[in-house]
Amino acid sequence: MSDFTSSLKPRYDGPATLAAERNGSSINIPELSKHLLSRDGFLSRQEKVLQVLKRDRLFSKDQQLNLSRPDRYHLGLARAKAIQRIVRREGWDHEDYKMAEYLVDEMSPFHLHMSMFVTTVREQGSEEQKAYWMPQILNYDIIGCYAQSELGHGSNVRGLETTATWDPVKKEFEIHSPHLTASKWWNGTMGRTATHAIVVAQLLLPHPSNPSNLISHGPQPFILRIRDQRTHLPLPGIAVGDIGPKYGYASMDNGYMLFDHLRVPRSAMLSRYAEVSAETGALSRRGHPAVVYGSLTFVRGQIVMHARLVLARAVTVAVRYCAIRRQFHDRDDVKGERGEMQVLDYPTVQIRILPLLATTFALHYTGEMMYDLYHGTRETVEKGDFGPLAELHSASSGLKSLCTTIAADGIETCRRAMGGHGFGGGSGLVGINADYLSKPTVEGDNWMITQQVAASLIKKMTSCVQNPHAEPKDPTDAIFLYYLKNKDTHIPQSPIHPPNNGKADFEFTDKAIVDIFQWRAAALSHDAYTARIIEKKPWTSLMIQLHALSRAYSEQILITTFYNALTTTPTTPTSLRPTPNLSHPTTNILTTCFHLHALHTLSLSPPTFLLTNSIPLSLLAHLPNAILHLMTALRPHAVALVDAWAIPEYVLDSALGRGDGRVYEELFDMAHRRNPLNRVTFNVDWRSEEIVRGSGDAGRGVLGKL
Amino acid sequence: MAPTPDWVKQLTPSGPQGSELLATERAKSDITVERLSQLLYTQEVLDRKKKIINVLKSEKVFDKSQNYFSGRIDRFETALARAKKLRNLRVKHEWNLDEYRTASEAISEPGPYGLHDSMFLITIAEQGTPEQHAQFLVKAEEYKFIGCYAQTELGHGSNVRGLETTATWNLEDKTFIIHSPYLTASKWWIGSLGKTANYAVVMAQLFIAGKSYGPHPFVVQIRDLKTHEPLENVHVGDIGPKFGYNTMDNGFLLFNKVKVPHISMLARFSRVDLDTNQYVREGSPSLVYGTLTWVRSTIVMQAGSVLARGVTIATRYCAVRRQFQDRDAPASEPGENQVLNYTMVQIRLLPLLAATFALHFTGKSMMNLYSENQKKMNAGEAKDNGRGAGPEEIQSGSDILADLHATSCGLKAYSSTIAAEGLEVCRRACGGHGYSSFSGIGPWYADYLPTTTWEGDNYMLTQQVARYLLKSARSVLSSSAPSNDTTSILSTFLSRSEIGCAFDVLGSDSDLVDAFAWRTAFLTFEALKHRDEQKKAWNDLLVDFYRLSKAHSQYMVVRNFYEALQSGETRAQIDDSTLDVLTKLFRLFALNTLEQEGSEFYASGAVTVKQISLARTNTVMKLLEEIRPHAVRLVDSWAFDDWVLDSSLGRQDGKVYEDMFYRASELNPLNSITVDPYPDSEVLFKKDDRRRSKL
Ligand SMILES: Cc1cc2nc3c(=O)[nH]c(=O)nc-3n(C[C@H](O)[C@H](O)[C@H](O)COP(=O)(O)OP(=O)(O)OC[C@H]3O[C@@H](n4cnc5c(N)ncnc54)[C@H](O)[C@@H]3O)c2cc1C
Ligand SMILES: Cc1cc2nc3c(=O)[nH]c(=O)nc-3n(C[C@H](O)[C@H](O)[C@H](O)COP(=O)(O)OP(=O)(O)OC[C@H]3O[C@@H](n4cnc5c(N)ncnc54)[C@H](O)[C@@H]3O)c2cc1C
Repeated sequence: MSDFTSSLKPRYDGPATLAAERNGSSINIPELSKHLLSRDGFLSRQEKVLQVLKRDRLFSKDQQLNLSRPDRYHLGLARAKAIQRIVRREGWDHEDYKMAEYLVDEMSPFHLHMSMFVTTVREQGSEEQKAYWMPQILNYDIIGCYAQSELGHGSNVRGLETTATWDPVKKEFEIHSPHLTASKWWNGTMGRTATHAIVVAQLLLPHPSNPSNLISHGPQPFILRIRDQRTHLPLPGIAVGDIGPKYGYASMDNGYMLFDHLRVPRSAMLSRYAEVSAETGALSRRGHPAVVYGSLTFVRGQIVMHARLVLARAVTVAVRYCAIRRQFHDRDDVKGERGEMQVLDYPTVQIRILPLLATTFALHYTGEMMYDLYHGTRETVEKGDFGPLAELHSASSGLKSLCTTIAADGIETCRRAMGGHGFGGGSGLVGINADYLSKPTVEGDNWMITQQVAASLIKKMTSCVQNPHAEPKDPTDAIFLYYLKNKDTHIPQSPIHPPNNGKADFEFTDKAIVDIFQWRAAALSHDAYTARIIEKKPWTSLMIQLHALSRAYSEQILITTFYNALTTTPTTPTSLRPTPNLSHPTTNILTTCFHLHALHTLSLSPPTFLLTNSIPLSLLAHLPNAILHLMTALRPHAVALVDAWAIPEYVLDSALGRGDGRVYEELFDMAHRRNPLNRVTFNVDWRSEEIVRGSGDAGRGVLGKL
Repeated sequence: MAPTPDWVKQLTPSGPQGSELLATERAKSDITVERLSQLLYTQEVLDRKKKIINVLKSEKVFDKSQNYFSGRIDRFETALARAKKLRNLRVKHEWNLDEYRTASEAISEPGPYGLHDSMFLITIAEQGTPEQHAQFLVKAEEYKFIGCYAQTELGHGSNVRGLETTATWNLEDKTFIIHSPYLTASKWWIGSLGKTANYAVVMAQLFIAGKSYGPHPFVVQIRDLKTHEPLENVHVGDIGPKFGYNTMDNGFLLFNKVKVPHISMLARFSRVDLDTNQYVREGSPSLVYGTLTWVRSTIVMQAGSVLARGVTIATRYCAVRRQFQDRDAPASEPGENQVLNYTMVQIRLLPLLAATFALHFTGKSMMNLYSENQKKMNAGEAKDNGRGAGPEEIQSGSDILADLHATSCGLKAYSSTIAAEGLEVCRRACGGHGYSSFSGIGPWYADYLPTTTWEGDNYMLTQQVARYLLKSARSVLSSSAPSNDTTSILSTFLSRSEIGCAFDVLGSDSDLVDAFAWRTAFLTFEALKHRDEQKKAWNDLLVDFYRLSKAHSQYMVVRNFYEALQSGETRAQIDDSTLDVLTKLFRLFALNTLEQEGSEFYASGAVTVKQISLARTNTVMKLLEEIRPHAVRLVDSWAFDDWVLDSSLGRQDGKVYEDMFYRASELNPLNSITVDPYPDSEVLFKKDDRRRSKL
């Protein structure tokens, strides 16, 4: 389509603007990328997989936002199947496959098959069960899902209503849904795709002496076929389907499922840790699922690593677009000589975006630390000794909650910072926002699970109070013991040193920053301990305080880990050691990010610092200016820093975030040339029932769809 | 799809039923829902709603059951069919504007006539001459001309002076040439433009003899009235799918040297003289300024009810949803706890419940102030022909308008931010089911989000508030201030600056309000010091200004809420126990805000650290507990019809699970498809029993 619009150019030159931004920073971008994204060959794998996907039109994201829910699923299934064929053709390993899922960036209808389904069989199946199921799973002869949550219960797994009753006569289980709320619900891959499911059900065994009395033994996993192999229709006794449209996850068929006295063999129960005896009908438990905790911690490490990429992606779009977007002349530029301002130069834009940019690095080092700890301790954990993982495990739910909240809210903050265009499909943040908003709820509701962290901190504080002179067993112990020793004499120090005679600029004491956060975490733990253990206050009345404690504690981990990464010691793992690896001025800039992340976090809730005597009052007077100062220091490097995250254009899928700065050209092209609505002419006269002009259907088309 | 088997149909939710739980909730509280509803809406409005919703429900085209499933084009098509039907109904039932708006609200989706009905008609009416009214307005009111308001461009939105579209006066044939010199001059985001409009009000930079006169409105035909195809050299279309608002055809528009006649430029306030070719200004467009203020005040008032929808849904659902036993529950109480009993849920929902009332009363009082002032100004204009206020008037109408205008900027920003973010908090508070479209919150939130950007970007607007406050502070310092509420809080602060203050924020409601005023005054003088004494650059102070504006708006909301509860009018309408609960909501809103902004209150000297600490650990907790039993009745008083809410979770009768299941299994077209899941087969859908679009 060529018309007079083809010759039009934007008023300001986007590519030139980004080039100037890049010239303005001396960060070595490829070097920083390598530092951030080397684990498991991430960068080269990204490149390899991307090249393959790009060749296939099926993976074009152009029309996604226009499609109806059924069409999105249709596309999702086509892609999921195609990826499996590519995996086989290209000889990809599991990491390559995961990379493909990340790049395609939608929930694949096969997702649960290769995540929770296979993991559960692997971790909870007996050797025999694994030998039977694993080959079929890996070959995709069967496709599985994980059916735990129900219509009535998600967080409270012990409250599940689906039952699995042992029939001592026939030596089999009967799976049943006694209520509507027992319906499985939300389970991914189940709605239309899966042939099999892991069903978590309450195990009911007849009482040995009184068989009509059924005793519950809590939720247990069962593996069973749910759809016919040939027709793919539900088996008799099963009602299963898709639960309908959601905020995001359009391509995924989250499902519902009910059972009508369905009979399954004894072997359906995954029996690595528990088994019902065919002879006696008694339950025997063996071993303890220690590995499960290990892998849970690992999963949460993955969540943090993923959160950092999601946040980096939103920040990439916002930084690039706000560097290109110009609006208004500077009010103090009376003669109007300087052209319009880049909106990224307005502090009210900076304060929304730059702290998030700094936070991507904070999340990064904590994710790395979790991976290292997990891998470093895996062997001892297999033997049942958690070592340092024990502490991390209890912290990991707090980190999951904090990091996914930061990332979810961060996407929206970035989107809004871009004004009107942020709302458009061209922002590239519509899909990611909708999909990512599930994260604060799934794998442990972000509010609910903070109670676990708080509970374990109260426990830890209790034991520290009882043994104030013990040797600290882990970093948290050390913080608590230090607090107990000094709480009556503590004089908080300000890490901010404002410019004064002799000094032209702000200076910061890094160690003092860490101290502040550690002190607050310990003090809040002590408050919670006092309230619960000493004053015996009801748990429910403390929940808000406990949530705040978990957050403060997790913020402390982000800060401490970031600090450790910047201050190398010989024991710091290489992946966490920027200083020796990175050339000037990158380390300094990362330190600025550390300061900004910390002070911005502080500025979000100063009262919790004040009330715990973690900061001196004087700090508050300098805080706003210190933050402004840090943002000014970071500003020239913003584009280079987001470049270093190396998010491919294919993932960004954003006109506003384009690396080449051709923002307006792309927005226009999307609207003008690639928008199917513009192929239709409508009849807008209200007197006529016809809707699509020339269709002559007098509006029946619309009514037929309702 | 196979019909639902009988054994499934017979299932009911376990435990106490949703309807029973909500009945118990309602029995726990003695709030008189009807009277509170009347206070919020008036009986007249409640009756009107009922009447209109009944009409809509009887029309097939307004059936909402497929809204959540359809793709962009289908949604737009349906929206257009609805817009047309609505217009038909309006003519048929002779609905007035209020009734028509009530219907649009109940349909709850933006429609393709939206900008015609609002900005297009208003702009021509307000800025056109009688001759132009005859030419354009008559046909527009008959929907022969269907229009939109094309101001924003690809390259400029906030900065209207920076618009790139030009309108050049042509001396020879006395026409204007409308032109888009750059790609970024393309009009963008314009509602109703993409597919619907045949006319547009186009804002363009006026050039006469090479000199620029800034942006002016032009009425321009863009599509053929018969074929509905774009006119020659006009390039127009829809901008594509968005975060929300997908039932609206926001459009783009480019002009390739299009000639329009002299009458096209709306000329009530300025025009090009046909004989002299001179630019002539005719009086000041303070009326337009007034309209902006009015529009923003509506946003404030709407923010209350927009948020109330989310709060209604979440509160009802969290009363029905039960999860876990209370950790400290005695063994004799084995049942699970309603999640609304968890303080972790209360702290998210109940302050928002308080905010719905706070915003409502604030918006209402602003609209009242506005219309009173408007009356006064009109009267004044008639009396002495636009001269300033007479000596008997302490304050001129335009002074009040200035104050109101600044206040409305800040409050628009503050209230729409609370509503938008609050909706997301409500959605998340519902856990997994909140993520389903059937929660009704997500789609509603997505459509509301642009309110934080349009009518003044929420960050941008705060600069106007700051500018006004700085100006007021300067005039207070030089003792030349007009007397209004803003100057009086600033003077009070100054007069006590040597003595300080001591507010009993936990014991006295009026002290609580005063503490908010004190903090605002403190921040104003701090900002003034930075700007006037330390000569800091304007842009370096933007973050301070943002905080200042927020502080001022919070003060306004707290004060208005307080005054609404003190007013005789309110007290006459509701009984004492309802008033008591509303007062608690006031305290919760104020103290929760105070606690969150604790360091500013502290820095200003308005409160002590001890007070903040007590507010947090004692007072707020106690208020949550006291308000909790009334939560369901309080949301009931917002009186949303189930059909309007369109939410499984928010149903008035508590049949949450039944409705979720019904929508999933009966209404969901995906379940009419059987797939081939195996990767080695290219077949995707083995069987597709979806109803084809036929009647
Ligand atoms: C997109 C998506 C995909 C999913 N995929 C799967 C899947 O594949 N398989 C599967 O089995 N499940 C799946 N789920 C379900 C998911 O695991 C649950 O939704 C999640 O665990 C939250 O539980 P819930 O919905 O019961 O929330 P609820 O527990 O009902 O939460 C409701 C509210 O109550 C609060 N609350 C609950 N308990 C407490 C408490 N004790 N103290 C304080 N507050 C409390 C919560 O914070 C929340 O605000 C999925 C969910 C979503 C949204
Ligand atoms: C759904 C929708 C419908 C719309 N409908 C219409 C319509 O019908 N007609 C119409 O004309 N327009 C319409 N608009 C456009 C809307 O009015 C603009 O998007 C809005 O005015 C914001 O302008 P912008 O997009 O240029 O934002 P920008 O000004 O580009 O803002 C980008 C960022 O820069 C910041 N910023 C900009 N200037 C400054 C400054 N001086 N100081 C500090 N920060 C600054 C902002 O805070 C923001 O964070 C619509 C928009 C949307 C999303």
